[in-house]
Formats: sequence, structure tokens, C-alpha cells
Amino acid sequence: MVETKRKGRDEPKHNKMKKQKSSGSKTLSTKKKSKRNDARKGPRLPNSLRKEVERLNPSTQLNSEDEDINSDEGEFLTDDIYEYEEKIPQEESRKNRRFDPVENFEYELPEDFEDENVPSDDDEDEDDDLMDNGGNKLEDSHDEIEEDDDGRHVRMLEGITGMPSEAFEGNKKKNNVVISEAYPESEYNPTRDVLDGGGRISMEDLLGTLQKKPGFGKLRKIMDQMKKSEAIEAPLPTVIREKMERQAAYKISKKDMAKWEPLVKRNREAPTIYFDEDTDLGFSTVGAIASEFEPRTEFEKKMASLVYDDDVMEAHKKDGSRLLELNQVSMEDEKERHNRIAKMRSLLFRHEMKAKHIKKIKSKTYHRLLKKDRLKTAAALTEMDPEAAKEQAMKQEFKRAEERMTLKHKNTSKWATRILQRGLQVQDEGTRAAITEQLQQHALLTRKMNSMKDGSSSSSSSDDTSDEDDVDEDSSVLKEGRASKLLGKATEKTLKILEEEEDEVPDSGIFSLPFMERGLKKRKEAAEDEAKLALQEYEVSMKQLDDPSGAENSKIKASSGRRVFGAANIRAPESRDVIKTDNFYANSDSDDDLEAKENIFDMGKDGSCDMQKDVHVDSVLPHEFPQDSVFKSFDDIVRDPGPKTTYDVAIFASDKWRKMESRNKVDANSKKSPVAVEPEYNQDLQEPVKEVGENSDTESEGQMVDGIISLDPKPTYELPSQTELIRQAFAGDDVEEDFENDKQEILNEENPEPEKPVLLPGWGQWTRVQKKKGLPSWMLKEHENAKRKREEALKKRKDAHLKHVIISEKLDKKAEKLLTKTLPYPFTSKEVFEQSIRMPIGPEFNPATAVGALNRPAVVKKPGVIIKPIEFKEVNPHENKEGHKWSGQKQKTKKSKSDGSMPRKKMKKAEGKTKKVN
Amino acid sequence: MKVKTISRSTDEFTRERSNDLQRVFRNYDPKLRPQEKAVEYVRALNAAKLEKIFGRPFVGAMEHNEAISCMAKNPNHLKGIFAGSEDGDIRLWDITSRRTVRKFPGHRGAVRGLTASTDGSRLVSCGADCIIRRWTVPVEDSSEDSVKPEDFHISKNAYWGVDHQWKGDQFATVGAQVDIWNHTSNAPVRSFQWGTDTVISVRFNPGHPDLLATSASDRSITLYDVKTTIPIKKLIMQTKTNSIAWNPMEPMNFTAANEDGNCYSYDLRKLNEATMVHTDHAAAVMDIDYSPTGREFVTGSYDRTVRIFRYNGGHSREIYHTSRMQRVFCVKFSCDASYVISGSDDYNLRLWKAMASEQLGVLLPREKKRHEYDEALKNRYKHLPEVKRILRFGLGTLFLVCIKVYTYQYESSFSPLLLCTGLDTGTTRGHTWCTRVSSSAQGHWR
Repeated sequence: MVETKRKGRDEPKHNKMKKQKSSGSKTLSTKKKSKRNDARKGPRLPNSLRKEVERLNPSTQLNSEDEDINSDEGEFLTDDIYEYEEKIPQEESRKNRRFDPVENFEYELPEDFEDENVPSDDDEDEDDDLMDNGGNKLEDSHDEIEEDDDGRHVRMLEGITGMPSEAFEGNKKKNNVVISEAYPESEYNPTRDVLDGGGRISMEDLLGTLQKKPGFGKLRKIMDQMKKSEAIEAPLPTVIREKMERQAAYKISKKDMAKWEPLVKRNREAPTIYFDEDTDLGFSTVGAIASEFEPRTEFEKKMASLVYDDDVMEAHKKDGSRLLELNQVSMEDEKERHNRIAKMRSLLFRHEMKAKHIKKIKSKTYHRLLKKDRLKTAAALTEMDPEAAKEQAMKQEFKRAEERMTLKHKNTSKWATRILQRGLQVQDEGTRAAITEQLQQHALLTRKMNSMKDGSSSSSSSDDTSDEDDVDEDSSVLKEGRASKLLGKATEKTLKILEEEEDEVPDSGIFSLPFMERGLKKRKEAAEDEAKLALQEYEVSMKQLDDPSGAENSKIKASSGRRVFGAANIRAPESRDVIKTDNFYANSDSDDDLEAKENIFDMGKDGSCDMQKDVHVDSVLPHEFPQDSVFKSFDDIVRDPGPKTTYDVAIFASDKWRKMESRNKVDANSKKSPVAVEPEYNQDLQEPVKEVGENSDTESEGQMVDGIISLDPKPTYELPSQTELIRQAFAGDDVEEDFENDKQEILNEENPEPEKPVLLPGWGQWTRVQKKKGLPSWMLKEHENAKRKREEALKKRKDAHLKHVIISEKLDKKAEKLLTKTLPYPFTSKEVFEQSIRMPIGPEFNPATAVGALNRPAVVKKPGVIIKPIEFKEVNPHENKEGHKWSGQKQKTKKSKSDGSMPRKKMKKAEGKTKKVN
Repeated sequence: MKVKTISRSTDEFTRERSNDLQRVFRNYDPKLRPQEKAVEYVRALNAAKLEKIFGRPFVGAMEHNEAISCMAKNPNHLKGIFAGSEDGDIRLWDITSRRTVRKFPGHRGAVRGLTASTDGSRLVSCGADCIIRRWTVPVEDSSEDSVKPEDFHISKNAYWGVDHQWKGDQFATVGAQVDIWNHTSNAPVRSFQWGTDTVISVRFNPGHPDLLATSASDRSITLYDVKTTIPIKKLIMQTKTNSIAWNPMEPMNFTAANEDGNCYSYDLRKLNEATMVHTDHAAAVMDIDYSPTGREFVTGSYDRTVRIFRYNGGHSREIYHTSRMQRVFCVKFSCDASYVISGSDDYNLRLWKAMASEQLGVLLPREKKRHEYDEALKNRYKHLPEVKRILRFGLGTLFLVCIKVYTYQYESSFSPLLLCTGLDTGTTRGHTWCTRVSSSAQGHWR
């Protein structure tokens, strides 16, 4: 900045210099140079100090310079003293020696000289500035300017004369002599001899010798260019250099930042910014997910090896025709497969047909037989096959669980309950049998089948070695069971045979012959003996078996606790009529509570059932009674106030409704209280109203009317009919009277007139006394007081003395809640604010298409979506802002306002807090 | 005779699918609904009350063995956050389950700086033990419990902070000087020094990744560009700046958290004045972090509170504090702008909701609409006295409690905020009120 300024100032100076003769310009510039040299030495002193120093020892410097400085000083401080010094003619001063006498003639214009120096004053200051910014760069530029001046002069001459610059060398030298006078000031040119001898050696001098050599023209061109181009600057001190670099860098980064401006502006002005776009959900297609699949299990690997078989892959890659080749199947294989399938189908068909046929058979006996058969096979299977036994056990278990859950055979059906309600005794034999059968079935189903389970569990247990004993035991048990059965069968058979033998004595044929008879008898006896023996054996073995098996059974019983087999089984069929006894159920596995209930039914008598019921009912009743009473009481209550309230509409039969009603009743009660209070209010209100009515006749209104009357008649002028015309024209509407009436109304509203005291005949006193005495005195007094109060209130009003003004003093506290005391911040006018909240934004008041836009928040984001920082993109400032017309207009204005004005407000505060250093 | 009929074109009134809604015509004439404004006002009032009732921002705490000194969020992984404590322990926390996922043992002294690369794969830590360590963040399902540092660099001076460039591979450490590092090289790529004081914090500009700002103990804020070899600009504040945060959506703006309890927002291009001064904290602001939306920032302070400010708001929108919460050293906004995490002197990381009364979890569209409507209503009627009172001071009962607290605290001349918060009933709004009262009363008392 400074530099540019400086240059700007320099330029006019240069122009002036150009106007002058060359000598003049030289001297000037040299002087400047000398000053600058001063400046260069060491740490710089303040101007005043330096002046002092120089005044004290002028001998340190050359005479001419001293003089110069003096003159400069004069320029510095435009003081009287220095002016005086300046007025000393130059010839008389010690400068004399410096000036060539010849040149002196040419150049003796002291005032001119002074004038020239005036701008140099600025120079000095500017130099100071420069030091601040640390540029000896500027000095260099001065040098350059000087050289430039030379060059320009020469060039000018060239241009004028059209002769080469060398031609002016002589002239220049001549001039240089003049210049040379100035040089001694400088420390670089200490000796005068050198200067006198022809000044500095210029490049031209050096080039002169080369003039006739080849390539001189080129060289000269380069030299010219060099002259034109700037001189290389001396390196600055690092501190200053860095500072400047920093400034430049800051400028650049500022400029960089400017590119964000439109983007940021757009975001700020947008009614809504969205951060929920383009969420990457990863894979979306099935193919993409499938491509990630890697086979892990054996099967998957096998599949993969087949699918990714090289041949197949290759075939796929090609047009796929080879796939068919790979798919080829031999004729035999196909045939075989076909046959196999056909066979299977025919088998299936036959089986189906057979099943159908069997299903169609309606014969009961057949089915019974079938069932028996099935049971038999099942029994055989259980005996033979442990697996089947297990299955059977499972089935049994399942059925048991089902039965326990559903209680299907537990007299829970409609039919059973009905029968039981009626009483079992009343029923006929068949029904009773059916019921008992059902119960028995239940008992059967719910009985625990321990043996099966044990067997299955032991066989399924994985620890063979440890369970071996158990297995042995179990197997022995089974064996024993089987053996005993076999024995039993054997005995039966033998007995039968014995009987048969007795019966089957043939009466005819060969056997009837006597010897045959004898032979038979013998044989019979032998057989009987044998049979007896066998029976004995059987019995013995039975006993043997019984003992250990019994012991073991008891053991198992002890362990399982509930197991009941043989005995119960045997007894059950025996005693269908005895079922009602407890024993059976005590033995059975049914749960205790079930048992208890069962007992109740087993007792079986109707009476007991009824008793039980009664008990139940009784137990329930005590709970119900209070409720009922409550209901009743509520009912009563409801009925009682009925005529007064509207709740007597219906008294419903069901309790629920009664409850509802009772609730209503509560409401009614709660409502009643305010109702009860209301009349009081009404009375309070009515009193003053009445008083007003009375009053209006008497004083206040009369006065008012008087006032109006006094106002009303306007003085009429005899002037033209104009006013009359006007009056006629507006005869109909009497504005003032209207206004008065309005005011009166408002006054009455805000300060209501007291109610007229009302005399109710027969109240307080006998009517005749009332008639005689009129209103009681206290009533009148009260009325008077109220009237006086009102008068006072009216007088205190602000608009009491203002005829044409109504100042409302009524403050609606409820409405106050809905108003703001001041204009809210971002809004600048009341109208704008009111506009902004005029239209409702709810879904009830706006179409669905608009509601979303009206309610959209300023920032729309999705939880769980990472928001990235802003990224640069070009913004077209004139483009239409996308989106939501509805909310856009309203919010935008608000936003921009807030953005604009908020920072400004805070400015002062901020300025105080911080301080800037570059 | 002319008969007027209602005629509707079948094209317009036939539904395309059976679950399409039938077109319903409503008359939106305001004359038909004279109460609409009153209705909306009451709704706004209710919405304001509900905001206070549901204003329970605290989600959970995660415990270290020492005071938390620094945190870093994983820019690529929403639920991962790194926390370093004074005993040199660095942990990766899973915010959702609030459990430690990994430990990064190695530092001997306090961990002062933590930062993760943009892809979340690398972690850089530095500490008072003069060591910079670089770690590779393990992938989710690797089983080992702790991670070994990939690389480390020891220097003469302790480090005070580190920050990673957005999307670049450079990171900056500060301490005695500002060093710019590369992930590949073992020595700093570039070093800056301007002045002799210790640099205490550093932050890269996320929008303009070459730019970074540091603050030093000589009260200065300095701007650097990693592309150049010299610092750009220095700003001297009246008090020390503890931390700086750039606005991620407005690259020219940054906010400085200062020792005097204020935050100052600056525009990079006009550094002669702050664009906004955010006041409310009662003690030095220790850390600051911008919301990724750029519309809010969170500050943690030495006065044991966390506050949330709007980017253009002079006062805080929200203040968070719980029982047993001590001086807050570091705060972070989660990457989805819906949570705030604070680390404090009481060994705990605390997780907060950014909006105190926000409903978490997946919202049904109708719920979402309802919330939006409530917000819009609150925003519209926030100037009316009742709504304003509730939004600023909460519901009535707290009011009296606070007055008692306040009178007590001045008699006992304790730290005002401590007492206020100690007796608070749990809603956060109470604090705001308390501090305001206390600040206004201070003037009155003195």
C-alpha cells in the first residue's frame, strides 16, 4: 500500500524533474540519496535527536552535506530559525566549493530550489514510513528511478535526434560533471577525483570497447532490456520478510474462503437443510448377497464343488449348449427309473384302494375285531420290541397329558354336568353306567405309566456300563412277568385239558370197547398224574416267582411311590359299583385337588352338591352385599336428586349400568356444587342491575343527557344555505350523540351502576308494614354508597374530562396471556409479526399436502446417519431455491433477518474484548 | 325444470389399490373454525410443558480409572468413541452398549490428545510423556482385548494436543511448536513456530482441510495453512483460549472457548471483531465441539456443566449436569448430531441426548409428524408470555426450589452453581434459571 502511494507521489515529481534541466534533477536526486544514506547507518534515531547530533558535530560530515541537511532541516520543521538559515545565499555558504561556478550561473534560483525541496519533505516522512514497513526495497527503487531518469533522458534525446545514445555520451559526461558535485555527499563516492575524472564507469563505457565485435547488437539489446527491467532487490530482514509473506498468505486464504460464501449463504437462507440423503445400505440385491456366500459345511462344499465344476462353469460361460451334453443320461437308467416309479405308483394306488375299502366297512363287529387285533399286535410289539414299547409309552404319556389338560372325561361336558346337577340317583341305569365308565376312562388315561417310562429311560440312557444293573433288573422283572403269565396259561390249559378229558369220553366206536376203555383210563390216570405233577410244579414255580417279584415290586413302588399295577387293575373291573369309595382314588394317581372334587361327586348325593353350592354362594355373598348396598344407595341417591338433575333418565337393570350411573352421580355431585354457588353470583349480579335500573331514572343519566343536550345544538349562522344544506344532508346521523351513547355504554360496562334495591313483598317484614314504611333504610344507604363509589370511579377515569375520547380502563387478563408485551426480536413491524402467526399450521386446518411443509423443522436429520462436513460445489446464485413454497416464504424472511442483524448488535461488545495483531 | 346433480368423474375417484385412502374433501374456510388459533395456542402450551416433562437428557455413563482428559470420535463409525485419561489409559468405547471394546495401553503420563483418521482405521495419541503413538484401530470382531501401538515418536517436549486432517493423511501435534506429520513418515513433515509460548490446542478445518487453528498460552489464536511454510495470522485475545472448533458447515467460521467463560465466534476474513459472543458459563470453558449440522455447538466448562449453544445464539439453549459430575474437560458431539458426550474429572464419560426431550428409537410416521407439529407450534408461540415462561424456566414447582437455593447460596458464599445443581430436582432447566438469577443477583448484591 505504502509503496503504491509512494510511487503515486513520486510520479509528479519525476515529471517536474523532466521539465527541469538535467543538472537540476541530478542535484535533487543526489540529495535524496544522501539522506537515504544517513538513514541506512545503524539504528535510526528519531528526527529531533538526529538533528541535535548533527548540529553538535557538523564537522563529521562534509560541508556541502551539512548545508544540505540544514536546508533539509528547515524543511522538516518549518521553523523560523531554519528559514533564516535558508535565506543565506548559497554562494556565501560553505557549499560554494561544491558548485561549479559555471553551473552556478545556470542554477541560481534559490526560491525555485526551495520549492523543489518541499516535496522532499514528504520523502523524508515516507522514508520513515518505509522503515516501519521495513523496505530498503524502496530505496532501491529510488536508485532505479534515478537511473531511469538518466536512461529516459538519453532515450528522449535519442528519440528527438534519431542518433544513437553513444552520441550523447559527451553531453552526458558533461552533465556528469555537474552530477559529480553531488556525489561527495555519499559515502560510496568519497573522492572527488574519481568523479571529476569522468564519473562512474557505466555499462555503456564497457560496451563501447566491444562495439566492433560481432554479436554486439545482441548484447546491447540484452543490456537495454536489463536496464528496463527492475533491479534485483536486496534481501529483506527475515522478520519483515515473514511478516509480508504472512500478509500475502492471509490474503490468499481469505480469497480462498470467499468461494464458500454462496454455498454458506444458501444453506443459511434455506428454510430447511437436509442431512438424511443418500444413505448407503450396502448390498441391496439378492445376487449381490449371494455372491458373498462361502460354503462352510460339508454339504455346502459338495454343492459348491458341483456348481463350480470347471466343465459346468465353462459351459455356462459359453452359450450353454454344452450344458445339455453334460446333462446326458443313458437310456437304461431312464427306463429303470421309469419302471421303478411306475411300480411305486401302482403299489400306492392299491394300498389306497384297500384303505378305502376297509374304511367303507360299516360292520361294528368287524371294527371291534380290528381294534382288538390292533391292540393285540401292539401288546405283542411292546413285549417283543423295546422301541415299540417306548413309542407306546410316549403315546400313553401324550394321551395322559392331554387328558389332564382337557379333563375331557371328567364330567365336564354339558351332558355330564346336567346329569350331575339333576342327581345321579334319578338317572336310569344306562346313564349312570356311562358316567362311571367315563370316569374310569379318565382314571385310566391319567394314570401314570411308570414301568414303560423307566424302561425307556434306562434303555435310552447313554451310559451302558453304569446302567447295566438297572437293565438287568428291568429285564428280569419283565421276564418274571412274562414267566408268571406263561405259567398261568399253562395251568389253565392243563386244567382245561383235564376237564375235557373227563368230558370227552367217547361212547361209540373202537374207543367204546372195554379194553380200549381200560387202556384209555390208564392213560388218563397217567396223564392226570402228569398234569397234577405239572400243576404242582407250576404252583411251586409260581410261588418262587411271586416272592422275588413281589419284593421287587414293592421296591419299585417305594422308589416310584405311585406305581399301582396288577392289584388295582384287577380290582377295577371287579368293582364298578364300588368306584364311589375312596380307596380306588386314593390309589390312583390323580392330583389331590382333583381328588377332593372327585370326592364331592363320589359322595354323589344331590344334597351335598347343593350344600357345596350354598357354601360357595355364601362365601360370595358377603362380598356382594356391600356392593349391592352401595348400588342401592347410589340408586337411591340417583333417584333422589333425579327430579332436579337430568340423571333420572334411566335406571338400568344391570350392575354395570348402575355403576356407570353412580359415576355419573359423582359427576353430578361435583357439578352440583358450582351450580349451587351460581345462584349466589347471580343474585349478586342482579342486585346492581336492578339498582342500575332504578338509578337510571334519577340522577346520572339525567346529567348525561343534559350534557349531550348542551353540546348538541350548534350555533347557526345566517350565512348561506350551505351549512343548512349540510345539516340537512347529515340530519340523519348524529355522530356526536352516537359517540356519547357508545361512551355511556362502555362506562356502564366497565363501571356498572349499582342495582336498584328491590322490595320483595312479604320478605323481611309483613307486607302491610312494607307498604307503610317503604324500603328499609339500610338498603337505601347501601345503594347510596354504591352510587357514590361509582361516581368517584367515573371521575377518576382518564377520559372523564375528555368529551371526544374513550380510554378503556378495562384490562382483560385472559386476553393478556395471548399477547406479547413487546415486538419479538426478529420482527421489525407489528404487521409482519401478526401475519406470521395468523394462519394455523395444524393438520385439521390445512390440507395434508401443505401440513408437512408448514411444520418442517429447520434441520432434518436421521438419527444414526453420519453427517459429513460441507463439500465444495458450485452454486448458481440465481437458481431457484428448490423445495417448499409454503414454509419457504415465511421462514426465509425471518432467517435472513436474524442472520443480518444479530451480529451487528453484538459488535460493540466484541470489539472491546479483543485486540488484533497482524 | 333444471335439476342440479352432484357429478364426480370416476377417473378421479377410483382408487388404484384397495389400501389407497379415499379422497376426502374438507372445507378449510376459517369461518367454519373460529377457534383454530385458540386451539393451537393451547397445543403449543402443552407441547412446551411436555418438553419439560420429557426433558431427561442423561443416557448413561462410562467409567475410566482416572479423569478423562481427551476424546476423539471415530468419524467413520457412529458408536465408537476413543477416550484418554490422566493415567495414560486409552479406551475405545461402544456407546450403544457403553462397554469398553478395546484398550490401547502404552502411555506413561496423561494422554493429552487423541484423534482418529477420517476412515477410522488409524488412531494417533500424544501425551505428557512426550510421546506420539500411532495405532491401528482393530476391526470389530478381532478378539484380543488390547492393542499394541504401531509406531511411536519421542520428542523433548510434552505434547498438548493432536488433530487429524479431514480426508487427508496429515495430522498436527502441538506443544512447544506446531508439527505437521504424515502417516508414512517418521518425522514431522513441517514445523511452525511463532512466539515462544506453549501451544495448547489445535483443530483442523473440516470443510477446508488445509487450514488449521491453534491456541497458545500467550492468549493467541494462530491460523496455519499446511500448504505454506509459514503461519498465516495471529489473533490475541484478552484471555487464554482453551479450545477451538471450526464450523463444519461454514468453513470460514470458528468459535474459541475462552478462560473467561465466554465463547467467541469469528469469521476468518474479519478477525478484528467477533461475530458473536456466547456467554453463560460461570467458569472457564475447557472444550468445545460443533454439531455436524453446524447449527449448534457444545461446550464443557470448569463450572461442572455442559452447555449447548446455537451457532448464532448469545445464550445457551440447554445446560446439562448430574449429581457427582465434576469439572468437564472434554466434550464431543456425536457424528449424527443427536448425542453429546462429555468427559470429566470424576473419571466418567457421560452420554447425553442433544435434544433433552427427544424421543429415541424408531418413530412411526404419525409420531414424527406429531413431533414436528409440536416443534413448529412451540417455535410459533414462543413469544407469548406463558409459553415463554415454560420454555425458559420450566414448570412451576422448580421455581420456588431455585429461589430457596439461591438465597441460601449467597449466605453461604459457595460456588453458586454447585449449590443450585446439588439441590436440583432433576430437570435440566432449573440450572439455566439458577445461573441467570445468580448472575443478575450478583450485580444487585455488590
